[in-house]
Amino acid sequence: MFQELNRGTPALPTPRAYRELTPLKRREMREGLLFISPWLIGFLVFTLLPILASLAFSFMNMKITDGILSPPKFVGLDNYIQMAKDPQIWSIGGGTRGSLWITVLFGAISLPVGLMLPLFIALLMNSRHLKGKMAFRSAFYMPYIIPFVAAVFLWGGMLNPESGWINRALVAVGVPRDMTPNWANDVNWVYPTYVIMGIWAIGNAMLIFLAGLQGVPTDLYDAAKVDGANGWHSFWKITFPMISPVIFYNLVLGVVFLFQYFTVPLVVNQGTGRPGGATMFFNLYLYKTFFTFQNMSYGAAMAWLLFFLILVVTIILFRTARHWVYYAGDGKS
Amino acid sequence: MRNKRLLTVIGLLLIGSMLLAACGGGATPAPAAPAATEAPAATEPPAATEAPAAEPTATEEAMAEPTATEEAMAEPTEEVAAEPEATLTAEEQAAVASAAAAEAMAAAEASGKTAIRWFVGLGTGTDPQQIEAQQAVVDAFNASQDQIQLVLEVVPYDAGRDTLATQIASGAGPDIIGPVGWGGSNAFYGQWLDLTQYIEDTGFDTSVFDPALVDSYQTEEGQVGLPFAVFPAATYYIPAMFDEVGLEYPPQNYGDKYMLDGEEVDWNWDTFTEVAKRMTIDVNGFNSTEDGFDPTQIVQVGYSPQWQTHPNYVSSYVAGSADIVDGDAKGSYSVNMPDSWKEAVQWAYDGMYGDQPWMATGPMSGAPEFGNGNLFNTGHAAMAVTPLWYTCCLGDLRDSGTEFQAGILPMGADGVVHGRVDADTFRVWKGTKHPAEAFAVLSYLITDGGDTLLPNYGALPAIPDKQEAFFAKKSEDYPFITPETWEVFKAGLSYPDAPSAEQWQPNWNEAWAREQTFWDLIQNTAPDALDFDAEWQKMIDDLNVIYNK
Repeated sequence: MFQELNRGTPALPTPRAYRELTPLKRREMREGLLFISPWLIGFLVFTLLPILASLAFSFMNMKITDGILSPPKFVGLDNYIQMAKDPQIWSIGGGTRGSLWITVLFGAISLPVGLMLPLFIALLMNSRHLKGKMAFRSAFYMPYIIPFVAAVFLWGGMLNPESGWINRALVAVGVPRDMTPNWANDVNWVYPTYVIMGIWAIGNAMLIFLAGLQGVPTDLYDAAKVDGANGWHSFWKITFPMISPVIFYNLVLGVVFLFQYFTVPLVVNQGTGRPGGATMFFNLYLYKTFFTFQNMSYGAAMAWLLFFLILVVTIILFRTARHWVYYAGDGKS
Repeated sequence: MRNKRLLTVIGLLLIGSMLLAACGGGATPAPAAPAATEAPAATEPPAATEAPAAEPTATEEAMAEPTATEEAMAEPTEEVAAEPEATLTAEEQAAVASAAAAEAMAAAEASGKTAIRWFVGLGTGTDPQQIEAQQAVVDAFNASQDQIQLVLEVVPYDAGRDTLATQIASGAGPDIIGPVGWGGSNAFYGQWLDLTQYIEDTGFDTSVFDPALVDSYQTEEGQVGLPFAVFPAATYYIPAMFDEVGLEYPPQNYGDKYMLDGEEVDWNWDTFTEVAKRMTIDVNGFNSTEDGFDPTQIVQVGYSPQWQTHPNYVSSYVAGSADIVDGDAKGSYSVNMPDSWKEAVQWAYDGMYGDQPWMATGPMSGAPEFGNGNLFNTGHAAMAVTPLWYTCCLGDLRDSGTEFQAGILPMGADGVVHGRVDADTFRVWKGTKHPAEAFAVLSYLITDGGDTLLPNYGALPAIPDKQEAFFAKKSEDYPFITPETWEVFKAGLSYPDAPSAEQWQPNWNEAWAREQTFWDLIQNTAPDALDFDAEWQKMIDDLNVIYNK
């Protein structure tokens, strides 16, 4: 596909070819480069250069406060070797888990919820029995427009153990006050709390699912009905395969988002890892290594680890996709 | 038809829940740092002994190191917060301050003077009233001579560390930094100038200080600081609570015994624990040692380890300070926390989650009715052990009509009192282009300038001759405090933690953060979900890795 697209795209000519161009072509080319230069320069300076710099930093012993007093030295793979045995990244058991395990553990809860709930709501929204679909869709999508940090603060207020209305409601229905959850301050409740906060932002995923659902040909359902299929069979045998590319898309996005999970623990628990280190997600640990612990080189190495982790998981997902994702136009799964 | 109704109802319920989510309870922000070690109120001034680097947010840092500044300072803070500058983020305010300082430096140099920049933002000194006092000191210094032009740069506490790190990284660090405590200094370990040569060259008289305090600024890099403000620790207590249960007050002279059940006993941590248990009361009026005591409904605890946010503090007080770092270079560093430190933390853990608790757990002390961590200030704790700077933050207690006093610190199992002396001072950046001039400024700030600065910082002068004025001022704030209490604090200066509980560790910021995570974990986790030994070992293992990063 990309090869086909590229076939029609002229590459930059060699110096010799450039000399052979007509003056008009040369001028067009110069002007083209001129027009694209703002983006090109921006990309080089603000994207490519920092990426390359971070790669270079990861092989050095650079700490920001060393400053001019102690120039960075090349240390080879030291940071990567150190990182490979850093329990704060890899540790699995106990109360103070490694940041990567924390991320995975949270993902085990948040990913299924983040996929199934919007799918469920999208199914409801797609029902032909539902009146006022537009209003419902707008209402469900609306929270997605709210800045996420504002939403996190708002949820923090609702889930405040003392003054939040959720605990007050629990007390009102008879839950003893000392039995109400301590939400974001409790090592056992903090992940469910974050998941609940995440529900706020399901509007986008719901909309994508809805688009997928509306693309399923209705004659398939009619045929299934004639064959005696019930609702579950229709969903499992028709709906799910037909929207599997959309599920896959949301899954990949969800995994990428999971590895980059940052804002909520930063805002709700001030990026401290509280309670008891339970919210020291990998991306947060990376951030702290950079900017709080001032260890730029180690942080850069962690950033590259994050990149490779996301890459590997995404590749694995794409590999598994051929077994369960159905692309109708391909004639193959 | 039924399906249609059902779907409509479900849809309405879902949308209703979303609307409730949008409208309900939003006024209250997320619980600012959950743990027992939560910050004091937002109006409280920043730390006297700067906060641990592991805690980037303002609230946490303020909590970790409550300020030495006076309660009174909180009031102007609120007023000024409403000014236009407050609409800028801390980083933006820092950028504005730095730009203004750079301009002033350029002007000073253009006039032929040596420009010296004084950076404030790692601890106390950022309140409007303090800024005014600092500017007055700067003006007085500049008027006193014609060689040096001192320029003040005040950066919001929230942005202080990042700003300083960035300045140092770019080779544009300030000449003088402070006030800064042990923790903040260790966050920038290796950046401080050895003052030895300048002390000798100028004949600066260090004999005005307690030699032990001067020595405490001696590192392998030399004499990297001089004493300025000190904060000895003591046992704060509420006499009325002792009266109510018929217990003697903690002694007020080091060496005195305590009378418990008609017997004279040492005022040690065992005695302290017993007293704390008897003063931990549940909603039914039972104390922790009595049958029927309900640990889930405690209304008053016997002890609050006020702002002891790290195991290092707890262990220093109970087991004694220790040099916890072995090794002398990256790759060779290892943790050397003595077993007694672990036992001390276990003791505190039992105090929270044991059969007869006498300390607040994390969730309890983080609750609003217990002051969001500022527990003693709420009048729900009979005793607290913490340095003198805590007198900054007891306005609520005073205003509620509750009096407090201070007694001596308990002695450890070895029969020795293990105290703490927090300290703030000024440092000279090693990269300064004008070290001699910077030292001249530093000398001024810790002597003559200190007369103006110390009262505004709410700090006890390190120079003994100047201490009476400090206590006179404190007595105005707390008229009920007896002279004996102030004597307890003075006597506490003889029990410094050497090395400090906030001593240097390799990669201090991260190590300090890891230690706090451990403390936070045990505060917030009951024994059925926590293997204390394993978690302690995990902290040690993590520190060994962190030290050698």
